[in-house]
Amino acid sequence: MLMMAAAALLPSMAQEVEVVSRQRLLQDVEGPAYYPVLNQTGDRLLFLSENGSLKYYDLTDNVTTTVADGYVAGHDACWGGDGKVYFVTQEVADNHLIYRTGKSFDPLTHKTVQLTEAQHGAVCAVAASRGGALRAPGGNSYQSQGDIGSSAWTEGSRVHITVNGEERVFSPVDSWAGYLWASLSPDGKRVAFFAAGKGIVVIDLRGQILAMPGNYEMPCWYNNDYLVAQNATDDGHQFTSSQIVLLKSDGMWKAELTKPASMAMQPTCGGGKIVYTTIDGLLYEMKINIYE
Amino acid sequence: MKKLLLQSSIMALLAIFAVNIANAQQPHVYINPGHGGYDSDDRNMVIYPFQQGDSAGSWESKSNLRKGLALRDILQKKGYRTSISRVTNTTADDLALSTIVALCNQSGADVFYSIHSNATGTSSRTNFPMVFYRGYTGSPQIANADVLAADLEPYLYASETTVWTHNYQIWGDWSFRPEWGTQGYGVLRGNRAVANLSEGSFHDYIPEAYRLLGLQYCWMEGWNISLGADKYFDRLGYFSQGAITGNVRDDRIKRLQECAQPFLVYDDDNLMPIHSATVRLLDDNGTEVQRTQTDTLRNGIYTFKYVNPGIYTVEVTEPSHFTQTATVTVNANGSTYQNFYLKRVRDTPPVVVDYTPVWQEGDPAVKCSTSIVLSFNWDMDSVTTCDAFTLDPPLEGDFSWEDSYYRLIFTPKDAFDVNTLYTLTLKKTAEHGGGTPMDEDFTLQFYTQPRNHLSELAVFPYEKAPVHFKTPNVELRVDSLLDSYNLFQKLRVLDSEGNELAWNKRSIKYNKRGDDYGYVRIPLTKDIEVGKDYHLILDVDIADTAGIHLPAARDIVFHGVDAGAEKPDMEVLDDFESVTGYNCSNNTITASSDRLFGSKSMQVTYDLTDYDGYWTRISAPGYLESLPHKFVEGDTLGVHVWGDMSCNDLWAVLWADDEACEKLISLGKIDYHGWRYISVPVKNLPEGDFKFAAFEIRSEGSPMCKSGTIRFDNLLRKRGTGGIDEVKLANMQLNVADDYIVVSADTWVQGIELVDVNGRTVKASGNNCLNISQVEPGVYLVRVHINGRTATQKVKL
Repeated sequence: MLMMAAAALLPSMAQEVEVVSRQRLLQDVEGPAYYPVLNQTGDRLLFLSENGSLKYYDLTDNVTTTVADGYVAGHDACWGGDGKVYFVTQEVADNHLIYRTGKSFDPLTHKTVQLTEAQHGAVCAVAASRGGALRAPGGNSYQSQGDIGSSAWTEGSRVHITVNGEERVFSPVDSWAGYLWASLSPDGKRVAFFAAGKGIVVIDLRGQILAMPGNYEMPCWYNNDYLVAQNATDDGHQFTSSQIVLLKSDGMWKAELTKPASMAMQPTCGGGKIVYTTIDGLLYEMKINIYE
Repeated sequence: MKKLLLQSSIMALLAIFAVNIANAQQPHVYINPGHGGYDSDDRNMVIYPFQQGDSAGSWESKSNLRKGLALRDILQKKGYRTSISRVTNTTADDLALSTIVALCNQSGADVFYSIHSNATGTSSRTNFPMVFYRGYTGSPQIANADVLAADLEPYLYASETTVWTHNYQIWGDWSFRPEWGTQGYGVLRGNRAVANLSEGSFHDYIPEAYRLLGLQYCWMEGWNISLGADKYFDRLGYFSQGAITGNVRDDRIKRLQECAQPFLVYDDDNLMPIHSATVRLLDDNGTEVQRTQTDTLRNGIYTFKYVNPGIYTVEVTEPSHFTQTATVTVNANGSTYQNFYLKRVRDTPPVVVDYTPVWQEGDPAVKCSTSIVLSFNWDMDSVTTCDAFTLDPPLEGDFSWEDSYYRLIFTPKDAFDVNTLYTLTLKKTAEHGGGTPMDEDFTLQFYTQPRNHLSELAVFPYEKAPVHFKTPNVELRVDSLLDSYNLFQKLRVLDSEGNELAWNKRSIKYNKRGDDYGYVRIPLTKDIEVGKDYHLILDVDIADTAGIHLPAARDIVFHGVDAGAEKPDMEVLDDFESVTGYNCSNNTITASSDRLFGSKSMQVTYDLTDYDGYWTRISAPGYLESLPHKFVEGDTLGVHVWGDMSCNDLWAVLWADDEACEKLISLGKIDYHGWRYISVPVKNLPEGDFKFAAFEIRSEGSPMCKSGTIRFDNLLRKRGTGGIDEVKLANMQLNVADDYIVVSADTWVQGIELVDVNGRTVKASGNNCLNISQVEPGVYLVRVHINGRTATQKVKL
């Protein structure tokens, strides 16, 4: 077991995090795998395979299943609260415009359903507590039912938060380039997202800023109090370091879960597990203990 | 009220429908101006007059942003939808690679351009555009990324305002950076738009760095990228306006080298860009349509944006140059390139304003290596000026120009003649760059020194020199101190096939200030081959510090030998494993590990400065006086000498037994480096035995002979045989029996030697009786030493 020295922001709030285990996933089974996404219970893991196919790995029975084939077949995929995979495929038309189609995949029936027709422009798969949605600003959107529960997604410099079917839009910080990676806390009370040039922003459901824990990417909620994120550096062309960090959502504490040279990236959390990949596509599952 | 609501709803639905229809056809381009801010990873090129870190200077982050903003504005004007990752140049704008990719993906863009400029990362300089996509070359990970690149590159490469050194290149990043595996460029990794990363030019090519400082130049690259997008989306016919751009340069004045280090320039970049030139665009009525100005950032770029198709006149004016115009045609959505080469206004005749050599009667004479330099008030026309140049007496030479034709240099092909009065006349037919001749002839005179070439004191190897094979030294000695700059490149050793042998440059020795003569000594890095011929080439431009060079190049043939080769017919008199007993006045004698045989040689470090007549002796110890070590007429003396190229004479000194008679045998001049085997016959000796007494070093008193270090190894002797008559003493008798040779005489017999046909002493005794019972049968020479005399007689055993 590995005890990570926590880099406490405030000495009086010193804490420690213990890496209980770190395990390679799908070793000798899959080639490089990227953009892992755990479901809420942490027993299923979406990922993009080397050739771009969207697959999921069932950690309980050790089986992988292909959701969609072909490069960029499925991206920004997510697990809906109904257990389905919501994802987007794209095709380049003869006029060289890209047309995107929203779809869902049901792991129970292995059936893929087209939810939105092919349309030009952005289409975003959104996870919700009771289902999923496909958001297409200025186009045709879809949601799995009238009240999909709670969800959060970003578009431009706006974060959209839906609570009990009611959507609210906030722009709590200035960010020219835009917001990314909105994530709803497990208790549904807070949203973390990334504002380009500013870093992670934690807001409540009324759009009030609660904390800005730092300039890290791809935040996801480890539990109701902690976030896991990516801390990468580059020279403008290629990555020069990348690590996984643990952040207290109030911004008062942080710790390294991997070293900068680990080139670990794209973290996802669910069911008390952390999964991340590396620059060369090696998937790892990490378990931690946090001592407060 | 319900009706009103219904109408409003219908209007709203129609508006959404209209937006959707527009969106359905409107290409969406995501623009990523690479880097951001003024930090260490933002590629600051330090160019005059900007200091390192000056945000006003050349930064890739800044020019990338200017191109990106221009592209955004142009594409919007052309009806595209755009997104851009930054609009200012601060550290906070330098978004992480994953963030840029995610922003592009979230935006739903059709294509993605990451805009950069390139650098070699080496001292070499080049300039050409490159475009990358994710994947292997020819196999993009995102379909059509190679098509997007192929549609873009010709528009970038079409630019005639820059100077390209190579054709454009298109690469898959996995092929271009195989050492990165499939990681590739960060902004292409995971990017699901049809994505390119363009390196529009090389910003470490200094003239390009100056161009990239210019807003108009960056705008034009944005324009050209927009044409690539138009081509990709088949929208070239959608936009009705074009652009005109070009470079304004002087037609002959050279670009100034103002940076801390000289920089490479190619082709038209050799010419001076013109600052603050007013450039007007006139329609066919002469009406001004647009007006712009070249900046003061050493690039000379002008651009006219959004010009309606048609035929125009571009007029360039600048007070110090003649106005120039050109007719150009502008096509819809096209780029028109028109460069200008302005002629300077030169309003006075040319005159020589400065010159060298400056000399008048009574002044010291001028070095024969000097060049004639004429400086003018205007840049001169090369042809008429060189034609107007005459020298009396005539001398062949080369003309060169400096400072953009303001300075003419005449360099003699060889050297000026010695002790000669030269008269230079520049006839008034010499013209400046504008074609006006001088008002009157210009003349100057100078008298030359009595020396015009280097005098070679010595060189090793010399012609046909035998050179010991072991990493030989090469040395040139001349009569004045050599200019050591790149001197080793002017001496070469070639094998018989013309292959150049490498110098051991770490061990090179040069003359230094205060030395009495000039020299350079360089060892080769490797051994040469025994039995092979080699060439030492001395270039004619080997020169002293005053620029006086050799009179001619030299090609010296030498031969590889093994100075330590076995000599079976010789016997070793002294192997110099010990130097005990040797003496050399105040000079130092030591045993050296640099030897040919055994483990030691004898090293003598000498200084002849304090000795009258410049000589010294290395006296031999007493044991060499014993009979087996003595020489007689007809013997051969051999010795291995490690020379120091002192050019001193080396002698062997033999003494008669009673030391009443001394005989010097020349071992030659020490005009070599390294080991050499010296073998000389012992001739003209008076009758009797002579012992080896000393080596003697003698100099002629030249500076290079004053001191040095030489070594000796294995002193040899070969007994004389053929050609030497038997010497019989009248009162001596030789009796040869089965087991003994017995000599009887009327006086004391000092000893007997039995010498075989090879001159080797087979057996010797110190009395009149020699046991021959173990000697092989054959013909021998018996040498009998009697009372200071020697008799010889052949015997058959």
